[in-house]
Amino acid sequence: MNVRVNGSSSPAPDSPQTTAAEHLRDQLGLTGTKIACGTGVCGACTVLVDGAPTASCLLPADRLEGREVTTVEGLGGDHPVQRAFAAHDALQCGYCTPGFVVEASAFVDGWRAEHGDVRPDRAQVAEAMAGHLCRCGAYEGIFTAVAAACAGEFDTEPDRDPPRSDALDKVTGRARFSADRAPEGCWEGVLVRSVHAHARVRSVDPGGARGQAGSDGSANAVFVDLLGPERLVRYAGQPIAAVAAPTAALARTAAASVRVDYEVLPAVVDTELARAEDAPLVYPTRAERRAAPSYGEAPTPPAPWRGNVHGPATLSWRGPTAARRLRAAAERGDPRLVAQEYSTAAQAHSPLEPHVCVASWDGDGELTLHVSTQTVGKVARKAAERWGLAPERVHVVGEYVGGGFGAKNGLSVDMVAATELSRLAHAPVRVSFDRAEELTDAGHRAATNTRVALLADSDGNLSAMSVDSHGDGGTAVGSTTATLALLMYGRSPRRVRDFDVVTHRPPGMPMRAPGGPPLAWALEQAVDTMAARLGEDPLTLRRRWDGNPKRQALYERVADLELWRGRPRGPRTGRFRRGVGLAASNWLYLMDPTARVELSVEDGAVVVRSGVQDIGTGIRTVLGEVVADRLGIPSGDVRVEIGDGDAEPGTGSFGSRTTTSMGPAAADAAERLRAALREHEPAVPASGPVPQDVLKDALSAAEGLRVVGGRGRDRWGAVTPAMGDLAVGRGLTGAVHVMEVEVDTLLGRVRPTRCWAGVAVGRVYSERLARNQCEGAVVQGVGYALFEERRHDPATGVMLTDNMEDYRIPGMGDVPETEVYFHQEGFEHAAGAGVGLGEVSVVGVAAAVANAVHDATGWRPHELPLRPDRLIGGLR
Amino acid sequence: MTTTRPEDLGRALAQLDGTGARPRAGGTDLTACLAAGVLEPAPVVDLAGVRELHGVEWLPDGAARLGALTTVDELAADPRLAGAYPALAATARELATPQVRNAATLGGNLLQRNRCWYLRNPAFDCFHTGGDSCPARGGDHLYGVVVDQGPCVAPHPSSLAVALLAYDASVLVAGADEQERAVADLYDAAAPARDHVLEPGQVLVSVRLPVPREGERAAYRRATGRSRAEWPLVEAVTRVVLHEGRVSHAAVAVGGVARTPLRLPGVEAALTGARPGRHWGPEVEESLAALADLCSPLPATGYKVDLMRATVRDVLERALEVPGR
Repeated sequence: MNVRVNGSSSPAPDSPQTTAAEHLRDQLGLTGTKIACGTGVCGACTVLVDGAPTASCLLPADRLEGREVTTVEGLGGDHPVQRAFAAHDALQCGYCTPGFVVEASAFVDGWRAEHGDVRPDRAQVAEAMAGHLCRCGAYEGIFTAVAAACAGEFDTEPDRDPPRSDALDKVTGRARFSADRAPEGCWEGVLVRSVHAHARVRSVDPGGARGQAGSDGSANAVFVDLLGPERLVRYAGQPIAAVAAPTAALARTAAASVRVDYEVLPAVVDTELARAEDAPLVYPTRAERRAAPSYGEAPTPPAPWRGNVHGPATLSWRGPTAARRLRAAAERGDPRLVAQEYSTAAQAHSPLEPHVCVASWDGDGELTLHVSTQTVGKVARKAAERWGLAPERVHVVGEYVGGGFGAKNGLSVDMVAATELSRLAHAPVRVSFDRAEELTDAGHRAATNTRVALLADSDGNLSAMSVDSHGDGGTAVGSTTATLALLMYGRSPRRVRDFDVVTHRPPGMPMRAPGGPPLAWALEQAVDTMAARLGEDPLTLRRRWDGNPKRQALYERVADLELWRGRPRGPRTGRFRRGVGLAASNWLYLMDPTARVELSVEDGAVVVRSGVQDIGTGIRTVLGEVVADRLGIPSGDVRVEIGDGDAEPGTGSFGSRTTTSMGPAAADAAERLRAALREHEPAVPASGPVPQDVLKDALSAAEGLRVVGGRGRDRWGAVTPAMGDLAVGRGLTGAVHVMEVEVDTLLGRVRPTRCWAGVAVGRVYSERLARNQCEGAVVQGVGYALFEERRHDPATGVMLTDNMEDYRIPGMGDVPETEVYFHQEGFEHAAGAGVGLGEVSVVGVAAAVANAVHDATGWRPHELPLRPDRLIGGLR
Repeated sequence: MTTTRPEDLGRALAQLDGTGARPRAGGTDLTACLAAGVLEPAPVVDLAGVRELHGVEWLPDGAARLGALTTVDELAADPRLAGAYPALAATARELATPQVRNAATLGGNLLQRNRCWYLRNPAFDCFHTGGDSCPARGGDHLYGVVVDQGPCVAPHPSSLAVALLAYDASVLVAGADEQERAVADLYDAAAPARDHVLEPGQVLVSVRLPVPREGERAAYRRATGRSRAEWPLVEAVTRVVLHEGRVSHAAVAVGGVARTPLRLPGVEAALTGARPGRHWGPEVEESLAALADLCSPLPATGYKVDLMRATVRDVLERALEVPGR
């Protein structure tokens, strides 16, 4: 009764309830095989069974008997596909990578046997990889890598290092994510969540999870109550308690035995109903309203409450003038007034690595947390506060992080539960969200409804603008959708107002450019509508209205693009209609003035350390490159260790601020190291490359040397004084997306075919990695435009799209062939001369899709996502 | 919980008879259903070793009999099958993902549970899980049926059943009441709590296809949002046989619209006499328009009336090589 795994024989399990994926990970320690969706949709768990790619999360473990299994570890590291993935940067966070690599290895081998060393086309690669999803959207690299491996380009070791320094660890499955950690004797924790949208919890009976473990581990389950003193639940899926037991199965059984006594209260889960006079209130008291969570990244501006409506938070520039002009234009029926309403659906971050924490207390009361987070530093700080520990007694580690997109910021409930349970269990405890939890209660980009009005004067200039937007973020407030309109299209009079409507549904969280994509969805379509009214080309109008010099440079490129110049004109006919649209994006330049990087000399090597984490953006690579570049030494001579909260504070990976905060700090540290090395070895030059032999001597003389570099100030300072670890820098970033689509008017499907993404963020640190992130932004934007939406049961508020079959993210066949262009001027005043691009690169994508669909069909979409039913209805 | 591994059909039936044990083929949907709580854990009779369920057999008359454990990938990839039954192969190629097609079986596909998000969410009870109502009917049923045969509103999930219905295929069922029956008789739209009519203890052994028709033209279309790897909003299969340059036999079936796959006899009749490579006459247009009469949309599934018509039009145009519009 054996199975051969990667050439070694081991007993095959007998339980039909265990999956092969669980067996490989938990029993054999082969954690390269990831479990992400758990339902055979995403492919992260793919292994070869008797040579055939198989979803191991749907394969009963007892089916392994007598079979030959190859996991990513079994591929070694020399398969041409692995080399190609690394060389073409066909990955970001790396969580989906082992599954892709295993599938692609079988495809490439089979393809070459059948066709020889021939390059497959995009459709053939998409077909072969149809069972895989990458949330970072590294598809462009994957297309290139798979085709190159098929063509025989990677049969030998490439002579250049891969662009991403941790690529080899990710393509081999060696990279250990927090979900992969199960220390000796680790218990599993499970959350108990509310089944009601609104209820008072009278009592919680721990059932079979009663009590505390003896120090010998005698109890078989432990229990912790997670509900605050108000004893209220405000959405279905809200955590109430958690239990842990020595195995996952025991923990689930114990969780099922917990009895919650609810006093069910009236709930409202629909924003329309929530606005009614007699609607049940989510926050009846002032104290509750003040404590409402926020999905904005900035502090929520003060705004009044009326029932379940929070707002308006009004920001204006000659607001009364704008309102007066718009009112008058409406009264006289001015054709130069464009007043439209747009809505967007809620988008789930859906990182493939779920929220996960492995917590352990050591004998001296020190706490170690292995977490999946965008903020190791903040988690450490908050944990120390919460459990009353001195900062040096809390150790937070997130060496590899499987995506975040805004959902993994700060101390989350998986961490709280694991920490509390671990203390009771006298054992390490792992709490990992399953996919349903991740898609229900791990944040989302709020849905919105936005009214936009634009008025042009007789010269066709913008004379007034107003934007009113209502955010729908469940129990959370903090919409900044309309607010962002202050920063677009010059300084003409405008009034922008943000509202939130709260309901008894799970809270939103900041997601990649909070407020940006929904504003662009409305504003950029309204601008296109205005162009049509004025009889103008959409590009011409933007060049006239948009004062931002960086976007002006991008518009100039667009004017020369074949994709734009050669676009079809006039009405299109036939079933398949091609169209091209564009959209402009704007974002802020944020940075962390407190970011620091430590360099030390250890065993004759330069080691870079900082409390920053790599969620797939590539900061690990950037740090090594900046230091190596400053010293003029090969980046292989620099070792980077990040994702450890004990190090000098780095920065959080959010707000497009990681690279622009860390890069200059690394450069500063490198200069300090150079100065310090010169004291040990005068042959080290004061500037320029350090010769190899000189460096070697200097490093051996300076063993143990340690320097710390800081972010430094920008020329002319920042817009705002530093607010702790945040400052708003001078200048706005910009992007322009040009999208081509083909619309199947019969079956209602939109197929994005080509995209040009022009991004202006100043100097780009690591070109291939930056391009990858911008390509991924197009993928996420396409998902937002066409497929993604959270849907809930209208009666109970229970999340229905709590699995990756029903929550639909784009696959390889759904994305356009994308070209990224960087305009690298305009941030010379900023330290390092370049700023972040994670957010600006996603803002306008969905709007560009919409404008392209309108160009193709003449139909203007107002609701997101652009599902087939909507398109069919719109074209009827 | 135990797993037994019988090697012949007799033993498998004995182990299933009155024991409460559950048969397992590819195990893909069973694993998902166990994880989602759709099914309670129970002992498993693993059919993988049962020799009678394997293999593709070519009968003396030229027809094929497919063992129930034939994988979806084998249906898609076997060149002889694809030549003889192009609609079946085309359907198999488009369903699920390569990894799932490698594991999922013909029998399992025909007998799988529906994909309703209420059924697969432990927060809800419905007819299928011991409840006495359908939460989707009054709730969010965007992907529900448009031909409302009540009381459950989940469309039938089996794409292969749609294709096999278009072939008038039959299935051999072993166990109590052993018999060969039409694929159509595997399903009962009025049974609210089940996605097929087999009783515990019965095993689907094989599928028998008719004698292949010379020069059959076939097409399959899955209307979805994304390009691949998605359950269909509507799916359609057609196969047409020509005689002297005109359609002499047409079969058209649709899925994703009702509790069972449906044949469209009105469209089939209208196609008779149509000529490939040209636009068809008004009878076919009228038969497509008349599909609306078949429909009884739920509040949110009205779009499927148009989408069903469009999907059928697509497969007909492709099978008949109608010039592009």
